[in-house]
Amino acid sequence: MKTTGAKLWKKVRGSAVCLGTAAALLLPSMPSIAVAASLTGNSNTYVLSRQTADDTNLLPLYEYLDFAVQDLGTESLSAHFGGWLGFDLNNNSSFGNGEKTGNDLQYGYLSYRAKANNAVVNLGRVMVFEGVAAERVDGIYARTDIKGGFGISVFGGAPVETGNPDLPGNNVIYGARISHQNAGTYAIGLSYLKEDKDSNTFREEEGVDLWFKPMNKVEVMGRSSYNAETKGWMEHSYYLILGPFDKLRFNTEASWINYADYFQGATSSVFQFQPGGPIDPNEKVNILGEEVFYTINNNWAASVDYKIYDYTIAGNASYYGAKVTYSKPKVYNAGASVHRMDGETDRLKYDEYRVYASMKMMEKLVLSIDLFDVKYKEAINNVTNAYSASVDASYELMERLKLGVDVEYSKNPDFDKEVRLLAKVSYGFELGGGATKPKEGK
Amino acid sequence: MRTQTIRFAALLLIPVLAAAFLLSSVAAAAEMKHPVEVEAPAICSQCHEDWRASLDHTPEFGKLRHKFQAYQNKQACGICHVESFCSDCHAHKEFLKPSDKFKDEPQRDLPHRGDYINQHKIDGKINPASCMRCHGRQNNERCQACHR
Repeated sequence: MKTTGAKLWKKVRGSAVCLGTAAALLLPSMPSIAVAASLTGNSNTYVLSRQTADDTNLLPLYEYLDFAVQDLGTESLSAHFGGWLGFDLNNNSSFGNGEKTGNDLQYGYLSYRAKANNAVVNLGRVMVFEGVAAERVDGIYARTDIKGGFGISVFGGAPVETGNPDLPGNNVIYGARISHQNAGTYAIGLSYLKEDKDSNTFREEEGVDLWFKPMNKVEVMGRSSYNAETKGWMEHSYYLILGPFDKLRFNTEASWINYADYFQGATSSVFQFQPGGPIDPNEKVNILGEEVFYTINNNWAASVDYKIYDYTIAGNASYYGAKVTYSKPKVYNAGASVHRMDGETDRLKYDEYRVYASMKMMEKLVLSIDLFDVKYKEAINNVTNAYSASVDASYELMERLKLGVDVEYSKNPDFDKEVRLLAKVSYGFELGGGATKPKEGK
Repeated sequence: MRTQTIRFAALLLIPVLAAAFLLSSVAAAAEMKHPVEVEAPAICSQCHEDWRASLDHTPEFGKLRHKFQAYQNKQACGICHVESFCSDCHAHKEFLKPSDKFKDEPQRDLPHRGDYINQHKIDGKINPASCMRCHGRQNNERCQACHR
């Protein structure tokens, strides 16, 4: 028990330290804590029943909790938390590496927001999406607009990562982005990120991100990233979006990725490609894609898409297909799609089919079905046809309390017959006089 | 190294404290919230003509465009979405697939439906960069079970 507690503390201590520091820094500067604070949040509890390939019955229970406390002493201070706890009700290993329990702090921070200039300071475990950065950091994130359409953001702290290399010593990550925008025409950003592991540079990346609307119905967006550690461009990824022209819209993708530079900063051996392995570490790929959407009427829409992967070393591949959807907001959603992955060899080819529908009945009951079928060109474990069928029923017991259960039946290369059951309870809560309706994303 | 880290943290804290001081001198902010309720899917261009129009949640928004909006304007996402909306998919450690959590919303473009454990062997070879974005430095502990 003591060991479990010690492990848990080790896992959360970074965030606890950050939150403690944040509180110590900010609270003294606050006026007296008022009683107007409001709390809104959601609790989602899941119990999953499934069997492993060696016939072990797993019954993990997950409790996902997220909440935000607004007006914490002043209207500009708030606290945000999201995380989950889990344990296996059958006392089996549901959480990898023989673990019977699991937990994660997804984010947890104090936020100070100014009324003007979109200025915000977040302290704690923060999620940072700024140019080249898509990180979790135990530390600080701050941004503000400056005059003349300029904006600046900075972040720094300890990187929150999984996998290897789990190097000893201090890990530090920091970065910044400076941007300029003309609200109707363009936004451009220059960003920088550096990550050190035990005094050695692990990642150093620079980037340009762009959104450009030269005229009505024409948009270009994308980014280029440079690896300053390996001294090479990691990727250029841009999209051209045209439309709508009457009922038609066009999305064109053009991307280029250099594997040697792109995957250098991975912490998982999955991405450490070896010469002679299935993926050449010096591979480069051009990806060209086109997607055309056609809005048939208020409810029906159709799309076709085609993507070409053009490699320097490996053979080329393409992915293409079509989709039809029917939507009647808050009442009915349905769709059907068919796609083909056409790789260089039979081993890299499959056809993918999907049909789904979701219908609201009697105002409180939502029934959903989802059929998913993949036909592999080359058999895996003597199986070419892998399919799954799931049925879900969700019932709104009260305005903020929803119960749901789904069953999924599947046949695939690993299971002749697999049945999974998932039960869930979702509860939205609020406390305090100033509580407002929770935002989307319960 | 520890001294270096402390020095770095102190340097970083100076501008943050300065910003906090400056911010405390301006009027308090209300929670950032869209002034009128928006029904999903949000078609922002119905009211806006500037950059906000590009936030239209058209069918390809989730799969294709939302990442660029997040890199440039994450605070705009926060007008309608809470942080957990991001972490439902962009996880640090996760054992439930997003498509399993939201079986009651099959219309959402959520990844890894069906037998993805076998399908990923093909997708991962064709375009490993698409895996890297979510599993490169986070949520990759389960990968290690096979990829040692």
